[in-house]
Amino acid sequence: MTETVKNTALFLGVAALVVITGFMQSWNSAILIVNMGLISAIMAIGVNLQWGFAGLFNVGVMGFVALGGLAVVLVSEPLSPEAWSAGGWGIVLALLLGAATVFAAVMATKRMPKGRNRALTVLVVLIAGFVIYRAVFDPNVMAVEAINPAAAGNIGGLGLPVLLAWPAGGLLAAGAAWLIGKTALGLRSDYLAIATLGIAEIIIAVMKNEDWLARGVKNVIGLPRPVPYEIDLQNDPGFVESAASLGLDPVTASTLYVKLGYSVLFTVVLLVLLWMAQMALKSPWGRMMRAIRDNEVAAEAMGKDVTRRHLQVFVLGSAVCGIAGAMMTTLDGQLTPGTYQPLRFTFLIWVMVIVGGSGNNFGAVLGAMLIWFLWVQVEPLGLWLMNVITFGLPEGSALKSHLIDSAAHMRLLTMGVILLLVLRFSPRGLIPEK
Amino acid sequence: MDLLNAFVALSNFVLIPAIAYGSQLALGALGVTLIYGILRFSNFAHGDTMAFGAMITVLVTWWLQSMGVGLGPLPTALLALPFGILGCMALVLVTDRMVYRFYREQKAKPVILVIVSMGVMFIMNGLVRFIIGPNDQNFADGERFLISARDFKKMTGLEEGLAIKSTQALTVVVAVICVALLFWFLNKTRTGKSMRAYSDNEDLALLSGINPERVVMYTWLIVAALATTAGVLYGLDKSFKPFVYFQLLLPIFASAIVGGLGSPLGAIAGGFVIAFSEVTVTYAWKKVLGYFAPAGMEPDGLVQLLSTDYKFAVSFVILLIVLLFKPTGLFKGKAV
Amino acid sequence: MSGNPYQDGRGNKDASITNPHGIGTMTPAHRKSGPTTKVDGGPFLIGDTMTGGYGKGPDILHECTIAVNPGEIAVIVGPNGAGKSTAMKAVFGMLDVRSGSVRLDGEDITKLTPQDRVVKGMGFVPQTNNIFTSMTVEENLEMGAFIRRDDIRETMEQVYDLFPILREKRYQAAGELSGGQRQQVAVGRALMTKPKVLMLDEPTAGVSPIVMDELFDRIIEVSRTGLPILMVEQNAKQALAIADKGYVLVQGRNAFTGTGKELLEDPEVRKSFLGG
Repeated sequence: MTETVKNTALFLGVAALVVITGFMQSWNSAILIVNMGLISAIMAIGVNLQWGFAGLFNVGVMGFVALGGLAVVLVSEPLSPEAWSAGGWGIVLALLLGAATVFAAVMATKRMPKGRNRALTVLVVLIAGFVIYRAVFDPNVMAVEAINPAAAGNIGGLGLPVLLAWPAGGLLAAGAAWLIGKTALGLRSDYLAIATLGIAEIIIAVMKNEDWLARGVKNVIGLPRPVPYEIDLQNDPGFVESAASLGLDPVTASTLYVKLGYSVLFTVVLLVLLWMAQMALKSPWGRMMRAIRDNEVAAEAMGKDVTRRHLQVFVLGSAVCGIAGAMMTTLDGQLTPGTYQPLRFTFLIWVMVIVGGSGNNFGAVLGAMLIWFLWVQVEPLGLWLMNVITFGLPEGSALKSHLIDSAAHMRLLTMGVILLLVLRFSPRGLIPEK
Repeated sequence: MDLLNAFVALSNFVLIPAIAYGSQLALGALGVTLIYGILRFSNFAHGDTMAFGAMITVLVTWWLQSMGVGLGPLPTALLALPFGILGCMALVLVTDRMVYRFYREQKAKPVILVIVSMGVMFIMNGLVRFIIGPNDQNFADGERFLISARDFKKMTGLEEGLAIKSTQALTVVVAVICVALLFWFLNKTRTGKSMRAYSDNEDLALLSGINPERVVMYTWLIVAALATTAGVLYGLDKSFKPFVYFQLLLPIFASAIVGGLGSPLGAIAGGFVIAFSEVTVTYAWKKVLGYFAPAGMEPDGLVQLLSTDYKFAVSFVILLIVLLFKPTGLFKGKAV
Repeated sequence: MSGNPYQDGRGNKDASITNPHGIGTMTPAHRKSGPTTKVDGGPFLIGDTMTGGYGKGPDILHECTIAVNPGEIAVIVGPNGAGKSTAMKAVFGMLDVRSGSVRLDGEDITKLTPQDRVVKGMGFVPQTNNIFTSMTVEENLEMGAFIRRDDIRETMEQVYDLFPILREKRYQAAGELSGGQRQQVAVGRALMTKPKVLMLDEPTAGVSPIVMDELFDRIIEVSRTGLPILMVEQNAKQALAIADKGYVLVQGRNAFTGTGKELLEDPEVRKSFLGG
């Protein structure tokens, strides 16, 4: 069996799983799985760029995904002139002051001779800067958050089409990645893993607590969509008619239509990114990246600027994760910072990449689709399994209800087992790097 | 100005909680640092190992409570702790045998083990949630306070109360005992020294007749004991919730790295550095400063540098600062 | 990409998750020890017509023979890349010996792992990374005696008598010592097992000439106790001067063999290896 045949078979296998879901459960859930699978595939491509191409260990995927989500709110929410006049500009000013403080401190550290004077200056700059920053920041935040707190209380967005939020999410994530990479990759030895782990938690903390930004845990709901609303479709006689001609009732048809609309959009983005990632992999840039990954010392000796290359690929990969995050928030139609959890948004993506095959873009896509499918389907399977196991137990037994209630946690267990099995028996993944 | 009251308030809200939290972090970081030094990877499953050990302890505690067995003023969990440790030891030994050992035989690079530990993390996380559920569990009993605020006020006649929770006192006492035992073991016993030797130079340890599998086994046993103790102390002090233990991974890693990965002394120092900065930065200083300031000049706001939700940010910023100025951590760790 | 998927270089630089410090690099020829057989006669330690290479790689040694008897110092010399260290590693079981055998004290030990050879009485001092840098001198010696269950104090005293400077620095971390002192710790550690034979891989690499002379003096002193010593040396002239037996290797083969004195006087050897 040649490699192409094997890989095609793998993809067809995953497709078959989806089709079976469509027949056994419903086409709505099948397409939902596909949609989230496509988004996961993009995240996996991002992680694969960093880990597969360059060997960078990013355990902060969640943070970049969340930043993408934030971008959706900031770009597509309607303008809120009221908030801006109340305190929006003040907040911007405060943030600029904060940035200026950090910049001044960094400059002082760089320019002044080492010694007690320098330490004192830096300390004074930081403390004074912080006090000023809080003095400007706090009242303005209060003012913004006071505006209609039940429904708004944030600075709103730019009122632009939501599709623009996707590249914007990428940019936002790229900016954050640049900052992290600049600090963590420049250290004497890399501390990228712990840096990304920390920054992801910080990003989530900021999004949860800074209500002026995107309403924090109060969530932003009803975000604009790039596809029509179901209710509009159902009221459109033309749509109802064509649905009827296909033998579908208008409600099902409209939900399917909307979901398929997303699928098409996501597929286009995925294909573009996949194509770009493939081109990058084959380009001299990609070859150099892999050369650095396989032997950093030799690459450095040949005059390659390893840190710079790592920074590039780290920013790129994070941007891809940001795009995926924006797409996901668009699909959800809401931003809920409380739902971002590292197991789901960082480590699950890692499982996808490892299972698919680190260093292979198609592997990442396959792994993402397969793992996402399992992530969704293990729960009902687990429930069914528990029902079978506890069949003999009397109704109302404590053990039975405990086991059935706990079935939901089977998916974590399963993901761990799959990861370990793949690492053990097929360590290069389902579609290994060539 | 009322320095005495200020100090009491400071102790009550900052020093005592930070010491207790620091001890818990230190015990957790010791486990991470031992694995890093001897098995040579950062164990992402450490938070969940803590959760597992604590879970067994919680279950045994409930059972003991239902049997009416208790320790009087001390929490019953103390009686259940050895069972928790044994359960956790069994788990990590089984994990090592079924999972990690294979990769040692393959001479796998450390990063492979890191990824493997991610898989173990998923499994342990699922296991804990499967057995005890994802919710908060309360298992603390016994005397709640060593000194309650009211007693303290009555005793000293001060305006400020000083409360020492018995769990806080217990945390510190147990942590000190654990650390003393660990250092005695590592520095004075033959097995402990062989562990250090293995960490220092694996090939030479082999040539000296040190059996690596035994070293690894002892490491896991110690790590299980430390993790369970840390988990139980944290659970007694705060509460037991699986997800919280997973989240503890960040401050624990930060402690270990700040102190210098691979250095047990550093892990302890790092734990306290992180704990003190977290508590100090997220504490509302209004009260303490109020005692310092002359009459009429008391601060209006809460004087809270950052909201408590940013405590992870604090550990991370401390970590960055230390790494920028001292890349190997406070105590020279293995990472150069 | 290497053949073993678990040994890719990918991502091993991140110091917050991986610790390369002190990681094992030894590649023993056997993972499990095979049987040993009794043999009669021959030298105390002999690597007899050894042919072999690393793992599945090509042969590096070709019918190479090296032997040493009690009270003797045997030295392996030769140009760079001649397989000097390889020959010693073959004797120690780090090289797959495909034909020929290694015999120690009347026993064929060709199939033993390096660790089991240590138990059988081989004391081996690697060329680099031969001490526990983070442990004190005394702890280094204790670790050397790890396989012994009897009282080690007497042996430790002997080592301290041999290397008095170590007694002085016994509570100091071995990593803080000078190059020559570290080599003394390394030799002392190997002596702590009470070995039947001592094998030294370039003990004078990287130390000053004065220290080198002192180390050689100590090695002679050890040899006087009756302990056979097998040594690989870069400094051929000085080494052959103290050698009872010399082996000149070229491309993994025995080129010349004789007493140290004979080799030093052999015009051929002088011309090609000793610089006239």
